[in-house]
Amino acid sequence: MNAHYFFPPADAYALNRCLFRLKSEPAYRRRFVADPDAAMTEASLDARRRAALTAFDRDRLVSLGAHPYLVFMAELRLKMERAPAAFEQF
Amino acid sequence: MPVVAAVACPHTPQLLMRPDTEDRALVLRVHAAYARVKQLLSDARPDAICLIGGDHIEGFFLNAVPAFAVAVGTSVAGHFGPYDYRFPVHESLARAIVEQGIEREFDLLYTQDVPLDYAFYVPLHFAMPAPPVPIVPLYVNVYLPPQPTPRRCYAWGRALRAILDARPERVALVASGGMSHYPGTDRYASPDFEWDRAMLATLTAGRGAETARLTGEELDKAGNVELRTWITLLGAVRDAKAEVLCYEPSWHHGNAMVTWPVR
Repeated sequence: MNAHYFFPPADAYALNRCLFRLKSEPAYRRRFVADPDAAMTEASLDARRRAALTAFDRDRLVSLGAHPYLVFMAELRLKMERAPAAFEQF
Repeated sequence: MPVVAAVACPHTPQLLMRPDTEDRALVLRVHAAYARVKQLLSDARPDAICLIGGDHIEGFFLNAVPAFAVAVGTSVAGHFGPYDYRFPVHESLARAIVEQGIEREFDLLYTQDVPLDYAFYVPLHFAMPAPPVPIVPLYVNVYLPPQPTPRRCYAWGRALRAILDARPERVALVASGGMSHYPGTDRYASPDFEWDRAMLATLTAGRGAETARLTGEELDKAGNVELRTWITLLGAVRDAKAEVLCYEPSWHHGNAMVTWPVR
């Protein structure tokens, strides 16, 4: 069985960097929400990875080398950005 | 001074920001267990908390991946949605851990400028003792392979205990992580609760040293990559018998809180 969390392939660096910024950089996340194409151009993503990220297709992103955790938390942070009222705060 | 408390706890962000996918009653039961931890830590009157956390690719990205790291700044800060945290670092203790850890041949990374991950601030949000104390963030790489082996984590915990035993501060040790969960993978909705329960039985029997013999592959398979933080703490408490404060399995996560007697 392949590991759930695998060594990140070097050719997926731009994708993982983009997911990291979606997760951890509020300004980049806001730019992505406002204009995803421009934000992905800024991240130098290739066509396949752009398509997978546009669809936010987890399995495709992971098959293209995305770290599963980064996909998970980038998606959660985008949800928090788009619909903060959907979360109860403690 | 001796270590005055030893606790392990979860840190899932859904405990802080609950989406409607999460069972509210379960979340509140986990909060209640955190309240017990807060009381336990307050009663121990620590001068500092050494918080062993697995970084969620927040403090360290692919530009630098340390196996073990120590934050040695004056303070550390983290942000999550509407929450902004800043905690003072116990600088002299942090520095002693780095210097003596290196002396003991653990090649630690140290940093004076690192964003704090939620593995650290979620437990502190709920369980920072009253009055609050400075912290020492101790990072273990859990998500970026190759991670340190359980054997190495246990050995680092043993060395950490020896360092702390020679210090003047009263120190509470907190491990943040686990138990079974698989964020971002196709197993997210089916954690290995059976593995968790067997592990908790091992720990309550005082057989924590056995965790040093686990393999990285076993931890990944069981959704317990973060158990490396517990294993580090186990190196410090060795065969003390764990008391389970809570085990609350949600649809995606085994939320466990455990404490060990220290002497």
